[in-house]
Amino acid sequence: MKEWARKITDEKVRERYVNEVIERFRDKIIRVERNADNQWMIEIRKEDLPEVIGYIINHPEWKETQLSTMVGADERPLRGKFSLIYWISINGASGDVFFGIKTYISEDDPKFPSVTPIHPGANWYEREVKDLLGLIPEGHPDPRRLVLPDDWPEGVYPLRKDFHYTDSPKREFTDETKYPYREPPKGTAVFPLGPYHVALDEPGHFRLYVKGEEIVDVDYRLFYQHRGIEKIGENRLTYDQVNFIAERICGICGTAHALAYAQAVEAAGGVEVPERAEYIRTVMAEIERLHSHLLNLGLACHDVGFDKGFMDAFRLREHVMWLAERLTGNRKTYGMVVIGGVRRDFLEYRRSMIEKVIRELREGFQKWADQTLSTKTFVKRCEGVGVLSYKDAKRWSSVGPWARGSGRDLDARRDHPFAAYKYLDFKVPVYKEGDVLARCLVRAEEILESIWIIEQALDEMPGGDILAEWKEIPPYQEAVGFTEAPRGEDVHYVMTGEGNRLYRWRIRASTYNNFPALPDAMRGNSVADAVLIIASMDPCYSCTERVQVVDARSGKVRVLTEKELTELSRKASRGV
Amino acid sequence: MSGYERIAFSFIAVCLILFLPPLLDGVARKIKAKIQLRQGAPILQTYYDLVTFLSMEPVYPTERLAFRLAPYIAFASAVSAALVLPYGRVIPVSFTGDIFVFLYVLAMVSIAYMIAGFSLNNTYTNTGANREMMIMLSIEPVLGLAIGTLALNAHTLRIGAIPFAVTFTLSVLLAYGLLAYSVYVEGGFIPFDVAEAEQEILEGVFSEYSGYLLGIFKWALMIKRFALLWLLSSFISIPLVRNIASGALGGALILVIQLMVLFLLYTSIAVIESMNARLRIEQIIRQNAGVFVCSIAVLVLAALGW
Repeated sequence: MKEWARKITDEKVRERYVNEVIERFRDKIIRVERNADNQWMIEIRKEDLPEVIGYIINHPEWKETQLSTMVGADERPLRGKFSLIYWISINGASGDVFFGIKTYISEDDPKFPSVTPIHPGANWYEREVKDLLGLIPEGHPDPRRLVLPDDWPEGVYPLRKDFHYTDSPKREFTDETKYPYREPPKGTAVFPLGPYHVALDEPGHFRLYVKGEEIVDVDYRLFYQHRGIEKIGENRLTYDQVNFIAERICGICGTAHALAYAQAVEAAGGVEVPERAEYIRTVMAEIERLHSHLLNLGLACHDVGFDKGFMDAFRLREHVMWLAERLTGNRKTYGMVVIGGVRRDFLEYRRSMIEKVIRELREGFQKWADQTLSTKTFVKRCEGVGVLSYKDAKRWSSVGPWARGSGRDLDARRDHPFAAYKYLDFKVPVYKEGDVLARCLVRAEEILESIWIIEQALDEMPGGDILAEWKEIPPYQEAVGFTEAPRGEDVHYVMTGEGNRLYRWRIRASTYNNFPALPDAMRGNSVADAVLIIASMDPCYSCTERVQVVDARSGKVRVLTEKELTELSRKASRGV
Repeated sequence: MSGYERIAFSFIAVCLILFLPPLLDGVARKIKAKIQLRQGAPILQTYYDLVTFLSMEPVYPTERLAFRLAPYIAFASAVSAALVLPYGRVIPVSFTGDIFVFLYVLAMVSIAYMIAGFSLNNTYTNTGANREMMIMLSIEPVLGLAIGTLALNAHTLRIGAIPFAVTFTLSVLLAYGLLAYSVYVEGGFIPFDVAEAEQEILEGVFSEYSGYLLGIFKWALMIKRFALLWLLSSFISIPLVRNIASGALGGALILVIQLMVLFLLYTSIAVIESMNARLRIEQIIRQNAGVFVCSIAVLVLAALGW
């Protein structure tokens, strides 16, 4: 282990954090439990949630604390109650600690005090448990629906255990079924963007309230693509199968999800991963980062009409895709990570191939960066645009390049060393400007760092097994697994269950923490930049929207002629 | 000038105006593809596209007549603008004061675009029309002043006669620069293609057009670009050879050189386009305002006889 990693994971450092919380809230804490190496679960009463969470997250001396995930679970079959866990992490290379602040909520009184007024980053999480479990955050500033579709009936909570995964409540879509968008501010017009728009790669609906071309305010509606992954994972699949579903959460950062899930199960079940497997996981995660960042930088060029940069970035990316294909058999969705290790070994003769590809990539990318950054019109478009202040990034618990462009010094690879990162040296680029250009620069530097990480990993990779044997995972163990996906920290929470199945699986993709900050970055900018700002966050909609089983069949089936369909869509667009 | 020469060159002019622009577009697309190391679409692709569009029924998002007429207005205006320019030694349509007609019909293309955009209740087309208006208002004066400076020097109000009479002074050289800039901006090339920006506003007005109406509209914009660049290419090539070219053969020589310069201009524009990103509208307006001030200074220089 490198010196920096030893410092962060030092027991004394960790205990200092934990002891301070225990000292401070001695009379409020019901139970403290250490789930895994770096994870402490602290049980409190629900009335104390805002105070304890507010204390940890707004602690003036603790660096880059943030709400990493929040899990609501239906533990009625076990304890007769619902549970909520707010997972808060300490970052900024100052100690590897995750706090799980847990509380139980009874069915008769499903209310709990909302944390959102103290920390807006909890906004989506609390709306989600309201939608899916029927737990009501009291004092939440924006209690609108988040996850469920507009025509989903009231009082049906799909993530409760008594809701079978094949159930499909009767839904009626009438003319009155409408999402309660915010009223446009006075004197503004509505500029609708999406759900389908050339420059959005996945469906998401934005309502830009504009004055002339200036964006005054933004409202959005997402979650058009729930696939019910969590519910399926809890009901139908075994631990190993879930791993492959986890990889399919996202078409871009699949390995990050698979790895986060595998690490969560390994932490919960105490599975030791062989060192060689850790290195292979690291190399795959970095290859994924390379192609993802190249994709995003290319799209940024495309969004401002600079197609030369777009094509060149994608050409460079293609070599990374080919490399992945040679190593794993797939361009994407590598299927490499399994619980306990990896599925395939790197053969020795492939090593020179990887080295060659990344060497050429470094040269090609440096050329690309020089060319793009010397294109004045491109820089002009990105500079000073879509500024997200440090305060806003922190208050929404933003992660990844989106947050690092705004001066947040956090990176799960360094702050909570996982896989083989603890054996390697690398920098975490941070920019203070907070604009689109800063985020592009963060990504550009990360590409070079990734290449450097891969080179080190190849040099230092030890021999040995690639897969640890594991027989049984003890039931009802809880843990989180975390990775630094290209878009930021991914966190998977698992609660193991009986019969080779999960009891609860909670996926938190990086975009889930980044998205709520988007309106703050868009306000005051021009409509022309809206798409660019959205792209600079590198949103991953399908990641974010994994949660619920949605049956596509509606009550009525009627075939429309082409003409009727056109008329209908026109009518609908007029109403906007 | 013989009547035959006049008829022959006018005929050639009409053919060029109608059928050359799609070829230029195809060439530009090919060049951009090559710069991006792509194979690119065939050079004739723009013709194929046009034929496809023209053979399809449009879908009407509104009942308004303005929406249906706008493409035709744009087309007619663009063709008229091209007709007052010289082809060889022949100017198909020429009369004193056609300099104003040229500017006027050129503006009409933009106005047709705006009429179409504002005839719909759609924020994308409205934004496109709005941007077109702002660009037109900011660049048309520069174009006018540049041509005006040259007209002052050549002592003629016939736009087609200017290159045959212009003498080179400091102000004329500066006016050429302004002319090149305003042609580029008015042509809506990247970084100035904000009114039809695909990623930002779904190509503005074109998001609601389809079928032959879309075809005619796109064709009209191509002809507008042709007219603008033909203006520039004439102003460059005619002064070079006007002294040695006489008779019908001389006219042919001029025409060939005009065409060569045109292709050269279009090629370099394609290169500039692929090396740039699109600007924001307010950045363009600010830049154009600066250029406008310069163009007034140039006119003053010309008035002083420099």
